[in-house]
Amino acid sequence: MDPSALTRRSLVGAGLGAVAAPGARAQAGPAPPSALATAPKSQAGLGPRLTLHAIDNFHGTPGAGMVCDLAIREGDAYRTLKTVTTAANGRPAEPLLVDEALKVGQYEVLMHFEAYFAGFGVALPRPNFLGLVPVRFVIRDAGQRYHLPVLFTPWGYSYYRGS
Amino acid sequence: MAGITTHVLDADRGRPAPGVRIDFSVREGGAWRLVKSVVTNADGRTDAPILPAAEAKAGQYQLEFHIDAYLKAKPGVAEADIFVDNPVVRFAVFDAAQHYHVPMLCAPGTCATYRGS
Repeated sequence: MDPSALTRRSLVGAGLGAVAAPGARAQAGPAPPSALATAPKSQAGLGPRLTLHAIDNFHGTPGAGMVCDLAIREGDAYRTLKTVTTAANGRPAEPLLVDEALKVGQYEVLMHFEAYFAGFGVALPRPNFLGLVPVRFVIRDAGQRYHLPVLFTPWGYSYYRGS
Repeated sequence: MAGITTHVLDADRGRPAPGVRIDFSVREGGAWRLVKSVVTNADGRTDAPILPAAEAKAGQYQLEFHIDAYLKAKPGVAEADIFVDNPVVRFAVFDAAQHYHVPMLCAPGTCATYRGS
């Protein structure tokens, strides 16, 4: 399956098809991500939620079109709650979890790095060093707001509790 | 040298992180098989390579770093501040002739990893 199919569909669905680069490659071939045209978004004062921001430190752009599987730990396994794709600003259109959906627990966001960079035609080993990347963290207080920025390249990443 | 090595750094203190348990697994038949568990030494490294050169093989590998227990054992860390508890790094050895150094920089609220050297 075309790894960008979901991306393209999601972005078009969100009315963002013209902005993000992966959607353009069917016509133009692999292209670098679009120019940076988004600004930070303050979430101060909002209620309990888990939000995600993918930041492409290889291109210096938002990580648009990144497929992410959100899962919660149950026993020794992770149960997938939903799969989302980041929009042109590197954030999913909606928070991953809001209000009562945000529960205390151990979480994983599985990020599809290899498909992401393949969508931009970045030349990398196959398989790449980083393919499906688990981002694991713990939510200890369901009354708080959790922002999860993930800064990534094909060769490394970092993430932190943001704000 | 081929194989896999790691180094755990306490980015909060700017020091090696000793006593961190690391579970090393390999992908086999659609599941992760635990190969061994090791503990970092005073330098934040393991006494022997995670995967010695003689056993280097292309494949998918996983390191689980038990940062949670390390942080809780340290004075001055509030459990409530531990956001990254046990980070898992999955990576491919795509060329068994190369060496893969996979460091883990950890702190209560963040972690970072990369292909090091």
